[in-house]
Amino acid sequence: MSDDAVTPEDVRHVASLARVDLEDDEIEQFTGQFADILEYFETLDEVPAVDQDAELTNVMEPDEVRDSLDSESALENAPETEDGYFKGPNVS
Amino acid sequence: MCDGGDWQMAVVQIPLRFTPVGSNRHSMTAQTVQQGDLVTVIGLEVHVQLETDTKIFCRCSTEQTDDPNENVCPVCLGLPGALPVLNEGAVEAAVKIGKAIDAEIPEETRFHRKNYYYPDLPKNFQITQYDEPICQEGELEISVEGERRDVRIERAHLEEDPGSLQHVGGSIDTADYTLVDYNRAGTPLMEIVTAPDFRSASEVRAFLAELEEVLEYLGVFDAGRDGSLRIDANLSIIEGEEADENGEIGIDALEAANRTEVKNISSHKGAEKALAYEETRQKNAIKRGRVVEQETRHWDESRGITVSMRSKEEEKDYRYFEEADLPPLRVSHWKDEISIPELPTARRERFRSEYDLNEEAASKLTSTKQVADFYETIADEFDPDLAATWVADNLLGELNYRDMEITDIEDRLEEVTRLVELVAEDEITAKNARETVLRDMLDDEQDPDSIVEEAGLGKTDDDEVQSAVVEAIEENPDAVEDYESGDDGAINFLVGQVMQKTGGSADPGDVNQLLRAELEK
Repeated sequence: MSDDAVTPEDVRHVASLARVDLEDDEIEQFTGQFADILEYFETLDEVPAVDQDAELTNVMEPDEVRDSLDSESALENAPETEDGYFKGPNVS
Repeated sequence: MCDGGDWQMAVVQIPLRFTPVGSNRHSMTAQTVQQGDLVTVIGLEVHVQLETDTKIFCRCSTEQTDDPNENVCPVCLGLPGALPVLNEGAVEAAVKIGKAIDAEIPEETRFHRKNYYYPDLPKNFQITQYDEPICQEGELEISVEGERRDVRIERAHLEEDPGSLQHVGGSIDTADYTLVDYNRAGTPLMEIVTAPDFRSASEVRAFLAELEEVLEYLGVFDAGRDGSLRIDANLSIIEGEEADENGEIGIDALEAANRTEVKNISSHKGAEKALAYEETRQKNAIKRGRVVEQETRHWDESRGITVSMRSKEEEKDYRYFEEADLPPLRVSHWKDEISIPELPTARRERFRSEYDLNEEAASKLTSTKQVADFYETIADEFDPDLAATWVADNLLGELNYRDMEITDIEDRLEEVTRLVELVAEDEITAKNARETVLRDMLDDEQDPDSIVEEAGLGKTDDDEVQSAVVEAIEENPDAVEDYESGDDGAINFLVGQVMQKTGGSADPGDVNQLLRAELEK
């Protein structure tokens, strides 16, 4: 992956997946930055393998209802709300 | 405002194909295909909500509420640091489904993250299963126009339902803003993926009906719940010459044909209509020499058409990767530990042989588990034929007329049993039981004994009937003469007279016998 140069097209595609509008000069800027980021990740290749945690399986809880958040707390951090709903821009 | 069907966001989801190519299992329809024929090929992805008390990755209630964002917590709101914990009940339901469709439950199965950005997913990814689903390679037997067929099920996997969106002030494209409710987010879903084994929209409908029945028998699904069944369908048209000598269509021809994925289907009827529409649309395009585009289309129920959706993503864009917050599952042995009830097809067969029912009655009486259970109670206590008439015709007929289901009178089934007992013991006539008592029971919620008493429907004493018989003969010498001179129809007139005298509470068959006996004297 990191052998392939990052192209402006890649950046446009990723931006569209992330629903972000980018101007042409930003595309150029991010194309360079993407390449840098991928290079940083390559550093991880140098990390030696570590022992895995003991493998867990079948971690489950019984199907019994516990209290939810009250709706006031649930909406507390939302920038905008309406009638108990989270409110956001139109999305299609 | 949208219809709340936003789970089918505008993305192309290329169906996952993990079934080995060239698998030696037969395609379900071996039919003769002629040169020049256009063959329709359909495969389904059916999403069913599992009936659990809590969500799949948190213990918020799945109950439907009037207010938005009532059953939410840090996990299903995707708040930072919140960790999912799998619901054992959802896994049990998945294993039951696996057993019912005779699927393999692999030794190990795990969850993946499917990444896409849309506000119905607060985490920006959906926890689902990818290449290690909990059920693989099952099948479901359906009956289409009296013919039995197996539909192959490639896989069935667990995932979480997204939240629901409302587009306010316009359609999905023109709305002013969006309101988001996460009550539904995290409801357990089973996505059931079939092989491309359907050749018509009506086969799809038969399959969905059978699937719903099976899921309801298993007690893992509530068809009455709004949005509990959602269907995506892949449809392509293959030219007849692509079929092999057995009329079967190979994987190569399937892969080569352009298909459309039709989304936003939410019922059997909707599926049949949407697919019939899409089939005609594609066939018309081919007949006019146009190319059918490979795309995602949205079923617009109110207009009865499918419309093209903008395609944004393909499978690689979902960047599936393992969900590290959920350890793998090893539950293949649950298949032996969890029992499932007798399924509709098997029960239908047994009803036919054990109770000697015809196909129609057997199918009516096994349409839901509750009906079948009730029938068996009555049949075992009284008589299978009487029970069939009472449950399949009288009870279901009257319920259907009132737009009710057997589940609506669940706590009154003992009263219905008592009514059948009154008939079985000859305490009231079948006609009165059906036309008066049963109807009053359903309309006025009274118990059968008080209705019988109040309306004086108890069968008249034999003495009373006998004296009415004697009176009728005395009062109608002309009819007696006709009868004696060989006009057997005259007896019906006399029966009518006796019935009138006894206020309809005598049994016409008995009266007929009594009259004949009296006239022979």
